[in-house]
Amino acid sequence: MALEVKFYSLFRINLKTKGIEYQQESEITITELIEKLDQDFEGYFTQKLLKEDGTIARGTIILVNGKNIFHLNKLETKVSDGDIVTLFPPSAGG
Amino acid sequence: MKNYLKRQQKLFTEAQQQRLEELNIMIAGTGGLGTNQALQLQRIGVNKIYLYDYDQVEVSNLNRQLCYGKNDIGRTKVEAAADFLEQFDLETEIVVSTEKITLATEVPADIDIIFDGMDNFESRFILDQLAAENEIAFIHAGIEEFFAQIMLVLPESELRLKDVFAGSEKKELPAVFSPAVTVTASIQVLEALKYLLAFDDYLENQLLHIDLLSNQMELIDLK
Repeated sequence: MALEVKFYSLFRINLKTKGIEYQQESEITITELIEKLDQDFEGYFTQKLLKEDGTIARGTIILVNGKNIFHLNKLETKVSDGDIVTLFPPSAGG
Repeated sequence: MKNYLKRQQKLFTEAQQQRLEELNIMIAGTGGLGTNQALQLQRIGVNKIYLYDYDQVEVSNLNRQLCYGKNDIGRTKVEAAADFLEQFDLETEIVVSTEKITLATEVPADIDIIFDGMDNFESRFILDQLAAENEIAFIHAGIEEFFAQIMLVLPESELRLKDVFAGSEKKELPAVFSPAVTVTASIQVLEALKYLLAFDDYLENQLLHIDLLSNQMELIDLK
């Protein structure tokens, strides 16, 4: 079991990978997860997911086990081994 | 069966084909997705299509909105789309409305599903709420650059569009072009049909993510 982070759309193209797994026995918040991702992807996710004041940026989706963190505990939502975090910029046009 | 539908006869049971020809569809927004949906739905022989859009045709629409040409610039979109579709004389009834969709919109009583043809999430959230209040199925699609997502929301579904896409609203105009829009609208029509014609497998509590750069379609579980 691991904490699975999946990337879609431009995130996948930019980072040239479908995602990353972390062994994470104890719970961490999404903010802490973004810090971990930043270490592995050179600060990419802070830039894409957060505003300058550290709140969630508009136009990106963070799902934990299929649920938007907006409806959970936002950036304080906790994740650990066995959870799936899905990250993507949703397509808005038509 | 309409006589021009013979080549699709083997795809469906007799009951499914009959149901297909009885379907009444509401297309909310006749932009890139909406015009493509209308063309496909007319071709497969649905009974009636309601086209909703309050806008006029602009030159920036012409790279993907297949019912319009330069001569239509300035015309009401739904009227131009209806004229374009009706020239094919394919029996599907086309009904137009220039009403801006709000929570007060009275949706037609006989529709089987609402198609998302919108181009922003604010409008989509209103549309989804309207579908929920009227207990009508709703199929969302969004397309941007080479990426798209599709989500079917069933009438009884507690999981609504906003549950998944909260925070998606943004100000920048997304980049869109015809091939990617057409593929997305076609898959949206296919996914709606799988549900409406009671195929064994259709999108339920799942998001279909489409990556046309890498040729990948993936399901994201939402529960």
